[in-house]
Amino acid sequence: MRPKKLFIVLILISLVLLPVTPASADEATVSDIAKELICQCGCDMVLSACNHLVCDWRDTMLASIEDQIAQGKSKEQIIQSFVDLYGESVLASPPKKGFNLVVWILPFAAILGGGVVIYLTVKAWVRRGRQSATISKAEKGDEKYRKRLEKELEDFSGDGFR
Amino acid sequence: MADIGYIALLLALVASIYAAISFIFGVRGRHPALVDSARNSLLAASGLVSISVATLLYALITHDFQIEYVANYTSSDMSLPYLISALWAGNTGSLLFWAWLISIFAAVVLLQKRDIGKELVPYASAIIMVTQAFFLILLLWVANPFQELSYTVNPQLFNYVQANVDGVGLNPMLENLGMIIHPPTLLIGYVGFTVPFAFAIAALLSRRLSDEWLITIRRWTIIAWLFLGVGNILGAWWAYVELGWGGYWAWDPVENAGFMPWLVATAFLHSIMMQRRRGMLKVWNMVLIILTFTLAIFGTFLTRSGILSSVHTFSESALGPFFLAFLGVTLFGSLVLVFYRRNGLKSEAEMESLVSRESTFLLNNLLLVGAAFTIFLGTVFPLISEWVRGVKISVGPPFFNQVNGPIFLAAILLTGICALIGWRRASTKNLARNFLWPLVVALVLGIVLFILGVRQWYALVVLSVCSFVLYTIFYEWFRGARARHRMKAENYLKAFFGLVWANRPRYGGYIVHIAIILIAIGVVGSYFYSMEKEVILMPGEEMTIEGYTLTYEGMVSSQTESRITYTATLSVHNKGKLIGQLVPEKYFHRAYPAVTEVAIRSTLVEDLYVILVGWDEVGATAFKVLINPVIKWIWIGGAVLLLGGLVALWPERRRPPAIETPETGGK
Repeated sequence: MRPKKLFIVLILISLVLLPVTPASADEATVSDIAKELICQCGCDMVLSACNHLVCDWRDTMLASIEDQIAQGKSKEQIIQSFVDLYGESVLASPPKKGFNLVVWILPFAAILGGGVVIYLTVKAWVRRGRQSATISKAEKGDEKYRKRLEKELEDFSGDGFR
Repeated sequence: MADIGYIALLLALVASIYAAISFIFGVRGRHPALVDSARNSLLAASGLVSISVATLLYALITHDFQIEYVANYTSSDMSLPYLISALWAGNTGSLLFWAWLISIFAAVVLLQKRDIGKELVPYASAIIMVTQAFFLILLLWVANPFQELSYTVNPQLFNYVQANVDGVGLNPMLENLGMIIHPPTLLIGYVGFTVPFAFAIAALLSRRLSDEWLITIRRWTIIAWLFLGVGNILGAWWAYVELGWGGYWAWDPVENAGFMPWLVATAFLHSIMMQRRRGMLKVWNMVLIILTFTLAIFGTFLTRSGILSSVHTFSESALGPFFLAFLGVTLFGSLVLVFYRRNGLKSEAEMESLVSRESTFLLNNLLLVGAAFTIFLGTVFPLISEWVRGVKISVGPPFFNQVNGPIFLAAILLTGICALIGWRRASTKNLARNFLWPLVVALVLGIVLFILGVRQWYALVVLSVCSFVLYTIFYEWFRGARARHRMKAENYLKAFFGLVWANRPRYGGYIVHIAIILIAIGVVGSYFYSMEKEVILMPGEEMTIEGYTLTYEGMVSSQTESRITYTATLSVHNKGKLIGQLVPEKYFHRAYPAVTEVAIRSTLVEDLYVILVGWDEVGATAFKVLINPVIKWIWIGGAVLLLGGLVALWPERRRPPAIETPETGGK
């Protein structure tokens, strides 16, 4: 692969593979963890966004996060405690394991696969472009002879060769 | 009254079916009289659906609570704008509004003066009429907006109306300017894609597969795309100012449903340039417009089927299976048609180099469609997981942000790269020369931001990429203006506007790119640098956040016929100086759950956002206070998007047809 192609491909691949997460602070806060969980009141919003005036679910879950932070538990441990209690659906995004990997990997795999298809297609078009450029060059050469032939035939059709 | 609306719908259905059949038989059998009859029938159907809409509007405005829909979505104390907006506030009303938009668009398509694509109109009109007939069937037999209220139909509502001698009223959350504009804007976008889709199918049916269908639908596609884009941004704004959770986009299934067709339509608008310029991607363009239309219908299916839970959905209805069937038939039928016409869609694509503007357009298409696919997968994955594993899961913002973030970043970067690479081929020397200064600008900005304290590396990357793209756009404008300045001796300002005016589609596109950059800046700033505090204050107490001091002055309540409102007042000081008051509220509506009315102090730098969370009997009041940096740029970006779209749409002056001479050969 030539450097310029490699350059573009590398830029795209590196961008596509970069994860986007706000840089985490040293210690997880209630707000950080609340963004990773779904409120169980039925609002279908992440815990930090549940805007019900009175929501016992939200208050209980937030209090539990605060307690567990006070106990010195890590973010992962706290989140796992909620999974143990409410099941996987409490997570705002599926964990990156098992069957759930499909949803995490398939988009990038599809885009990379599409990239390969585009690369091969464009390569074929470039090849076709070069071939037709060669043919048109050859046709230009033929044109000279065709005109000469026409002229000679024209001359011949009169009173014979002059 | 209800009977008039219902009978008008019934007659409109008959007229639509007759028009669809007559158009096809008329044009295929070369019976101009039949085509004329179909035209009249289409216009009649449009008039009849309009009568039906007018009937429902009349019922809404005159408080005809005998009609279930009116009783469900209006009350006597509602103002006229909200009474009108009730037309699209409920499931059946919005479905009628959808059918009405189709009928209006169909009439406009038919009556438009056109030099190109005339032969496609009967086929396209037939397709639009079939779509209209589908919606009319639903309105007549599945979701009737003129259903009369009785105890058997809806006992709860019936008893409510009997007891209160009034309707339930609009959900207070919908009583917002955003909700008056957002749904119709979005619906015009969704419905608008019916026209380009219909012309695509018309081209396939009639085997007129040259570029005429593309020329015919370009403006329609931009209109639909623009309305959908602006509708999405208005929806985000409404969520921000009304829902009271501090955010604007929750990656909710219904938000996603509005975003997916917009992304695919964006890809389509780019790739049709390739077909027009180089005769490439004919099959791909057909597939893209088919996908755009089916995704628009998919959005409606999601909203009305109740298959996925969402804050936006109408109550679960029987419409789901009908939409699913329509979706299946449309998608399958269209793709089969593309397959059968594949020979006519073959393009003799040739390129001179792997690195060219064409390649960047292809990559742009890949990323936009890839983003739409990601959103689709994320939206339906809870269902897939339940089917495959029997386990319910949630796919929420963390997934969409992590996966889509890099894809969107790459797409934004490509808009800059694309402008720097010429059509057909790019030499290494050209590339180095073109990329040098944009890269230097991006790097310098990155360093400056780092020195200023920006430490989130991803924010640094995004902002540098944005500056790279902005530089390429502004430099392109400068070069064009300079050329005009030299050639026509115009001053730079006049030269610039002359440049934009002379090539509106292209410069409208650039303005849209700037809009996307502004939105990206707003999204990144508010995502990475938002901060929040929850506090409980007694009157007279204060709290501080990022240089602001908020003093809680107290709470008052007021009552109207349908609601009690509690209003808290906070004085806001910044660096010791009083800068104003914020008054967050809570409503308690007699028929709906409590609603939060947030208070926002918005500047170009940041929003101070206050939510009234709750209070107790001794006066302790809980507030959630957020600082959302640069979020206003998202809304400004929306306005710029609208401006760019309008510039791209602005009609060219109609030129008189060229007179055929022996010299020109009519070309």
